[in-house]
Amino acid sequence: MNGPLFGQTLAWQRLRWIIVSIAIFGWGILIPVVYAAFSDVIRDLANSGAFPEELLSFGSGSLFTLPGAVTLGTQHPLVLAMLGIFAVGATSTAIAGERQRGTLEVLLSRPISRTTVYASITAGLLLVVACVLFTFLAGFVVGAAIQGVLDELPIEHMPMVLLNGLLLWGAFSTFGLAASVSFDRPGPAIGLTLAYLIVNYFFEILGSLWREAEWTQEFSLFHHFQPAEILAGALDPIDLVILGTAFVLPIVYALVVFPRRDLAAPA
Amino acid sequence: METTDAVISTRGLTKHYGSVEALTDLSLDVRHGEIFGFLGPNGAGKSTTIRTLLGFLHATHGSAQVLGMDVASESVEIRRLTGYLPGGIALYDSLTGEQVLDYLARLQGRGSYRRADLVERLRMPQADLRRRVRDYSRGMRQKIGVIQALQHDPELAILDEPTEGLDPLMQQAFYGILGDLRAEGRAIFFSSHVLSEVERVCDRVGIIGRGRLMAVHEVRELLARRRRRVSIQWRGVAPDASTIPGLVDVTVDGDRLFGTLEGDVSEFVRAVASPSLEDLTIEPASLEEAFLEYYAEEPSAAAAPSEAK
Repeated sequence: MNGPLFGQTLAWQRLRWIIVSIAIFGWGILIPVVYAAFSDVIRDLANSGAFPEELLSFGSGSLFTLPGAVTLGTQHPLVLAMLGIFAVGATSTAIAGERQRGTLEVLLSRPISRTTVYASITAGLLLVVACVLFTFLAGFVVGAAIQGVLDELPIEHMPMVLLNGLLLWGAFSTFGLAASVSFDRPGPAIGLTLAYLIVNYFFEILGSLWREAEWTQEFSLFHHFQPAEILAGALDPIDLVILGTAFVLPIVYALVVFPRRDLAAPA
Repeated sequence: METTDAVISTRGLTKHYGSVEALTDLSLDVRHGEIFGFLGPNGAGKSTTIRTLLGFLHATHGSAQVLGMDVASESVEIRRLTGYLPGGIALYDSLTGEQVLDYLARLQGRGSYRRADLVERLRMPQADLRRRVRDYSRGMRQKIGVIQALQHDPELAILDEPTEGLDPLMQQAFYGILGDLRAEGRAIFFSSHVLSEVERVCDRVGIIGRGRLMAVHEVRELLARRRRRVSIQWRGVAPDASTIPGLVDVTVDGDRLFGTLEGDVSEFVRAVASPSLEDLTIEPASLEEAFLEYYAEEPSAAAAPSEAK
C-alpha cells in the first residue's frame, strides 16, 4: 500500500465524510428515540390492524425491539443514500474518474504498481465506509443511553454488527471499485454499481413486504445483514460467508483485470 | 533481448488494437546525454510509443528497455528514475499548484531537488503556487507539468509536447533547462510536432508516421542534406549552370538564376564565387521542409528497414 495515495484518498472524501458522519450520527440517535417514545403506540396501532404487519417488519427489521430497530435503521433508504455516497459514488468514480480526467496517467507515471494503486484506494474508501458505519452505531448507542434503554442493547455484540455491516457495504464498495477499474468513464461504473445495489435492495424489500415473494430475499445481500440476530446471540456464520464472498470476489477480479488493462491516452 | 547502454532501447516494438496497427516494428536507441526528438503528426504513434515505454500499454510484440530495465517486468523501477510530462497534462483541480507538486513528489519517493530552480526559471511565484489549479491558465498548468516531471532530477525525461501552451519567453527558459539537463548527462525523449523547436533543441530526431519509424537522423545532418532554394545574380554572362555542383531545377530569368541546391553548400559556394557574382541568396533549410519531404516520400520510406540507431 502507498501511504501518500492512501492519505490523499481519505483527503478527497474529507468534506462529504464530515457531513455524512454528522447526519448519520443524528440518524443513529433518532432510532432509539423513536423506539422508546413510539413503539408502544405503534404496537397498539399494529394490534388494531391499522397497519399491515409487513410494514412494521420492513427490511427484516422491527420497531418493537431495540436490536430490531438497528436493522430497521440501517435498511432505511436514508442510510442507503448516505452510505451509497461512498460505497457507490466514491468507489465507482475512484479510478474511472481519474482516468476520464487524465490524472490517472500522472499518478501511474510515479513508481507505483497498479496493484498498489488499487489497494491504496480500496483501503482508503473501505476505511471511510467503516468509519461511517461505526458513527451510525455509535449514534445508536448514544441514543439508547439518552433514552435509558441501553440495558436492552447487548453492547458486547456490537463489534460483530459492525463487521456484518462492513461486509455488506464493503461488498458494494469492492463491486464499485471493480466497475471503476473496468471502464474509462465513471458513468457506466456508477450505473452498474447503483443497479447492483438497487436490485439487491429491491429483492430484500419485495420479500419482506410480500410473503409470496419471500424467496427473493435469499438473493439479496441485505438479507445477510442481520444485526437483530447477532445482538440476540444467534449469528448465522453462513451470512458472513456469503457477504465475505461477495466482498472478496470483486477484489480478485480487479486485481486480475486492472494491471492487465491497456490505458490508452484519454480522449 | 540484448542489453545495450542506451537509455531507451526498443526492438521490434509493436502495438495493435485489434486490426489497427498503432505501432509496428519499432527499433530505436536513445543515448545517454542526448535530447532525442520524436517527430510525427497526430496519430502517428508517438503517444503509443511513450505509453508503452511507461507501462501504460502492453506491447503486442517486441521488447523495450528503459535505463537497462525491461518495460514489461520492471516498470515501477523505471518510473522511479524517469520524469514524464503527458501531452495536455491534467492536474488535480481542487489542489493548489504547490499541493500538486508536494503530492506528486511524495508519490515519487525522491526529493524535489530541482523544484526551487525550476520554479524560479519558469517564473512561478509562490503566490501563483498557492492558487488552486482550477484557476490556472493553460500555460501555468503546463509549467506545473514541467516542474512535476523534472523536480525529482530524473535520469530520463519523457516529455510529450512539452512547450504546448508556454509563451515564447517561457519556451526559451524551458530550452535552457533542457540544455542544462543534457550538460549533466541526462537524456530527454522529446515528442513534438513543433518542428522549429525540435530543430533548435534536439541532437537527433526520429520521424514516425502511421506507426512506423521512418528515419532517425542527427538534426545537423538532416538540415545539411536538405534542399535549399538559391538565387544567383551575375554581372554579364552567367556561367553554365550544369558546371555548378548540386544545383538542380534551374531556371533563368534575365541575369538571375534560380535553382535548388542539393548537397554540400561549401562546394557550391566555391563554384559560384567569381568577380562577376553580384548577389547570392540561399534560403536556410528548415526542418519543416525536411519533414514534409519525408511524408511526401512516405510509401517508399515506410517500406525501408525501420531499425535505426
